[in-house]
Amino acid sequence: MRLRVQYTAQLRSATGRHEDLIELSEGDSIATLLSHLGEKYGDSVRSYLLTPAGRIQRSLLVIVNGIAHTAGHAESVLLHDHDCVEFLPPIGGG
Amino acid sequence: MSPLTSLTTEEEDRYEWQMDVRDFGRHGQQRLKAATVLISRIGGVGGTVALQLTAAGIGRLILAHGGNVRRNDLNRQTLMTTESIGRPRIESARLRLLELNPNVQIETVDQNIDEDNVRELVKRCDVVVSSAPLFSERLLMNREAVLQRKVLVDSAMYELEGQLTTVIPGKSPCLECLYPEPPPLWKRRFPVFSAVSSTAGSLAAMEVIKVVTGLGEPLAGRLLLFDLRDMRFRTLPISRSSDCARCGGVKAEKNTRPETESTG
Repeated sequence: MRLRVQYTAQLRSATGRHEDLIELSEGDSIATLLSHLGEKYGDSVRSYLLTPAGRIQRSLLVIVNGIAHTAGHAESVLLHDHDCVEFLPPIGGG
Repeated sequence: MSPLTSLTTEEEDRYEWQMDVRDFGRHGQQRLKAATVLISRIGGVGGTVALQLTAAGIGRLILAHGGNVRRNDLNRQTLMTTESIGRPRIESARLRLLELNPNVQIETVDQNIDEDNVRELVKRCDVVVSSAPLFSERLLMNREAVLQRKVLVDSAMYELEGQLTTVIPGKSPCLECLYPEPPPLWKRRFPVFSAVSSTAGSLAAMEVIKVVTGLGEPLAGRLLLFDLRDMRFRTLPISRSSDCARCGGVKAEKNTRPETESTG
């Protein structure tokens, strides 16, 4: 399946990109996508997405096709062809 | 909120144009006059909230921000002046705000929100505005607002992006529903134009006006995201987390607008 993956804020800076098209297997989960991105970009991006133990960062918001998922519920969300996944690291500029 | 009082002739004249706003009117103006708003930090975002609420005729502002004005604050902290470099931020802000509207009561706290002062400061306000650059401080404000059932408006930005939500304890997600812990990689220094931080601040000020007066629909249960790089604004529905350690057991009150005190 082909996914449109979009980045905001610090993740956009870390990846140097606004979005990617990513190929995964139909029915793979957000957890699989996170691992894939961690491998693709290395530590500078991986650390925004995953803890050192390989779990999703608890403060990361994940938007799948316009539906927000908090980190606690996002990892197990299954993905399908043409899904759009956005990763929103928290921002706190004041 | 304090009891509603009538507007003076000067106030009637000053606020004439905004009292023409549909569903606001004189009653909305009186409600603003009766309200107290706590703003955590008066930098690029919070300073704009303070400025807009002062122009609109809020009754009382409690401004909490420690430290002195630095030259590199001035690209975004529009309540500060070049002349005030080296002097307390809070004092520069107070003078600027009173120049704009001497009717507003300005209480200044020359320190940031912390464990020692948060309870008392939140207790004295009707609405909390969270615009600090540290998540520990934002989550502290959130904790206390939820405990005291005060509405919290949270506004933040990064580079050309910003976001905003309004927390009505027991009704809409609190910050801990979204961010159960401070993000480990957030840096105190962030890229910022004043035009972006003041956009986030103006939106937050409008949320406060809506919450206090009942105008429109606040962003409770919704997250507003904007990206000024391509001028895209959107809102996403967000849900309370049933296992949120902060608000998971908090139930909604019937009336989510700050109550005015009885005049007896």
